[in-house]
Amino acid sequence: MTNFKQIEENLKKEAKKLLEAGSVAVVLAYTKGADEKHPQPFAAKKADDVANIIFNEYCNHNLARYIVRYAPGTKIAVAVKAADSRAVVVLIQEEKIKRENLILLGIPVSGMKNQKTGEIIDEKTTGGLTNPVVYDVLLGEEIHTGKPVSPYTVLEQYEKMDKDARFAFWKAQFDKCIRCYACRKACPMCYCDPCFIDQTKPRWADKSPQSHGNLMYHLTRFQHLAGRCIDCGECTRACPVDIPLYLFHKKVAKDCEEMFKQAAGMKIEDKLVMVDFRVEDSDKILE
Amino acid sequence: MAASVLKKVVIEKINEVAAVLMQKGTLIAPVKEEAGANFREIKDPKDIYLDYYNSILSPKMVFFPQMEDFVKYQLAKPKADAKIVEMNLKPAFLFGVRPCDVKSFEILDKHFYASGIIDTYWKARRDNTTIIGYAFDLDKPVDSADFYNTLGIGAADPEGSDIFIVKKDKELLLKGITKKGEALLGELSMLEKADAKDEKYFTDYVKKGKEKKTRFMKVDDKAVAKKYEDIFENNEYWTKMSDACLSCGVCTFVCPTCYCFDICDETIFGKGTRRRIWDACMFTDFTLETSGHNPRTKVSQRLRQKVCHKYSFSVRKYDVISCVGCGRCTRSCPVNIDIYSMVEEATKL
Amino acid sequence: MMSNNPYIPMPVTITKIINEVDTNDIKTFRLTFQNKEDEQKFKYLPGQFAELSIFGKGESPIGIASSPTEPGYVEFTVQKAGVIVPGLVTAALHDLEEGAEIGMRGPLGKSWPIEFLEKKNIVVVGGGFAFTTLRSLINYMLHKDNRKRFGEITVVYGARNPGLLLYKNELAAWEKRDDIKTNITVDKGNESWKGREGFVPNVCKEVAPSPKNTVAVICGPPIMIKFTLPVFYDLKFAKENILTSLEMRMKCGIGKCGRCNVGFKYVCSDGPVFSMAELEELPRDF
Repeated sequence: MTNFKQIEENLKKEAKKLLEAGSVAVVLAYTKGADEKHPQPFAAKKADDVANIIFNEYCNHNLARYIVRYAPGTKIAVAVKAADSRAVVVLIQEEKIKRENLILLGIPVSGMKNQKTGEIIDEKTTGGLTNPVVYDVLLGEEIHTGKPVSPYTVLEQYEKMDKDARFAFWKAQFDKCIRCYACRKACPMCYCDPCFIDQTKPRWADKSPQSHGNLMYHLTRFQHLAGRCIDCGECTRACPVDIPLYLFHKKVAKDCEEMFKQAAGMKIEDKLVMVDFRVEDSDKILE
Repeated sequence: MAASVLKKVVIEKINEVAAVLMQKGTLIAPVKEEAGANFREIKDPKDIYLDYYNSILSPKMVFFPQMEDFVKYQLAKPKADAKIVEMNLKPAFLFGVRPCDVKSFEILDKHFYASGIIDTYWKARRDNTTIIGYAFDLDKPVDSADFYNTLGIGAADPEGSDIFIVKKDKELLLKGITKKGEALLGELSMLEKADAKDEKYFTDYVKKGKEKKTRFMKVDDKAVAKKYEDIFENNEYWTKMSDACLSCGVCTFVCPTCYCFDICDETIFGKGTRRRIWDACMFTDFTLETSGHNPRTKVSQRLRQKVCHKYSFSVRKYDVISCVGCGRCTRSCPVNIDIYSMVEEATKL
Repeated sequence: MMSNNPYIPMPVTITKIINEVDTNDIKTFRLTFQNKEDEQKFKYLPGQFAELSIFGKGESPIGIASSPTEPGYVEFTVQKAGVIVPGLVTAALHDLEEGAEIGMRGPLGKSWPIEFLEKKNIVVVGGGFAFTTLRSLINYMLHKDNRKRFGEITVVYGARNPGLLLYKNELAAWEKRDDIKTNITVDKGNESWKGREGFVPNVCKEVAPSPKNTVAVICGPPIMIKFTLPVFYDLKFAKENILTSLEMRMKCGIGKCGRCNVGFKYVCSDGPVFSMAELEELPRDF
């Protein structure tokens, strides 16, 4: 089990050091929300801010989401759990940020909890990983206990459905959608400005929350994330009506991994599977 | 309290009440969904879910649905063939609304009836609906996000409802608050007459409701409105508040007092509908002008608009804080932003 | 119930289209009512606007360019708008021909405060395309039944070049009258331009109207407003006596949809006309 208090202490220490030395403009971490059980992403900009940093089992938010908000060239330190670090890797691959402008404060964790239900959600949020894939400083001991969990076991039931059943499943799910766009806003990989759904000419989908527009929005978003989704589960966590978006993303991620032998955001040197053609690539995608 | 009708019914028999209401018109009540309770039209009385805390989406959607159709049209040359969408409303019964949400209807009335311009759709749905309020269960703990006390609302305030319900063990006590509510109670023959003990229980419950504590701070409407005018350009405060904000629209969509909307023409294969759809000041394109000018490009500016609108502009324009402390925005926020904490921090500045 | 529904447009016919400028992207549309009762109900004053509606495209709020003293029709001068966000409605309007039928909702918003302007001298300052409701105001004041109600009328109107001046025939007619002082200027003239060259703020400085019992009504692009306001402050105009019309993204036009909310005002229903004193009370958020 992760020693959250220890990590919090180390995080504060590192953040303080970086801010005092002026080596970064901002440290992306967590702070207390209404209470400790409801932490908030936090941008510490002064050494004084560091006292407000916390880290506990409810700090699920993917902090990589905030990186693109700062002007290019800004020196940023980010507290990265496994999923956050994978998002950072994709952002680097997509040239949204430069590695040299980042200081990654790695956090190995297991035992993260859903703040509403209290259940342990490691499998859902970190793609089965406990240690960040890239970091400059590690704020705790790497975790190497037990056998690695497959991120795809939750797909078992889903994969039993045939094509029609899946379509019916998703249509029913998307009919719940209220188009608040929390999923795309929480997603560290959704940084387009403007998002296709906000464009008016052409208008890709109706704004009203009806089946066809909802399908258009979600399926297009799914497609835009193929081979890029790093399985942090933020979209699902953000959804106010509990649409299990992670199922689709995981399924695509699994297919990608099978076809191209590469999971998203694992190594900075990797090329994105959807933009890189390799002779040995599977032809299954054409089927 | 003036002598008014108090009736009672055992909880199991609520199905019978529902059946009558469904015969009279549309019954809207909380039902259990995957993510929690929501107000939906009842097709089967068994779906009514009275053991809920509060709904995820606010019941404003009964009067102000996310989508309201104005005109249906068929594009053609030389001119489109357009037909106004008639509402054809049946009487509606909105069952099981919590006191803080009832209060939100009054706030929205002020807006939709403001400046002598009456919103046709809001009024039609409002006039057509009997509101059956339902006290919070005082034996259950208050959700940590709630702060309706701060806005002067009690957990069992009957004001604003036509009929108000209080739970007493295995029974529901139903009190007629308005003439409309009393008349309806008279028509529900399965209800039993309540006795003096029930009367006392009801009155005590309302009183106890006032003592049920949510988060509380003393807020003077005028003072907080002035405070936000003063700190409107306090960038440090607004940046700090919005550093975590994702600028999604959850808080506004679940909010019982948010009313912003867009009017869209949505056409598929030449057939279309002009309708209004909820919109949100948190969206980037909300204020994007055709010229390309956008006065609110930053998250901090958009969050500022939301908070100031509720706690400052609304006070100055409608003489009321446009928030009922239901806690929905806080509960639904993906990054745990809490408007109560924001106001608290502002008052300390 | 539906007859008083403020969201439903009334049907109107485009009976005349005037191409106003060399660049062909600003046209004046004359609309006539299809129903007599709509025409009787449509009582407006200069400064108000209406939503022009084309099904399938949407609605667009446009200031009324004609004066209520011209009965039987309403005119709108519309620029084909939008570089970043394509203006769906304005583009569609520009593709229409005379005889086409569209919808209109209005009149909306507050007008120029006619009662406040009465018995005062009026300085009208306009720039470029933002001259439409000013034209309405000038024509209203110049009408023979109204002219006596107002003091001296001075106009300063400028455009980037002569081809971009709106309402050229009317400008020429005003210049011939002696009950209105007309100062037309362009940033840069051409071979055939014999008039004044110079920016609007500089011309205002030259004209130097006295602030005594005078109200300035100013509409133009932000950059013009920015440099013109100081001129009037220097001339000792009180903030109450400088009026302008605000632009903000609007949808409903009746103060319900929340889009044009600035502080405790809705630009569409509490404005669009504001005095500088009123604007000063609003947060800087537009």
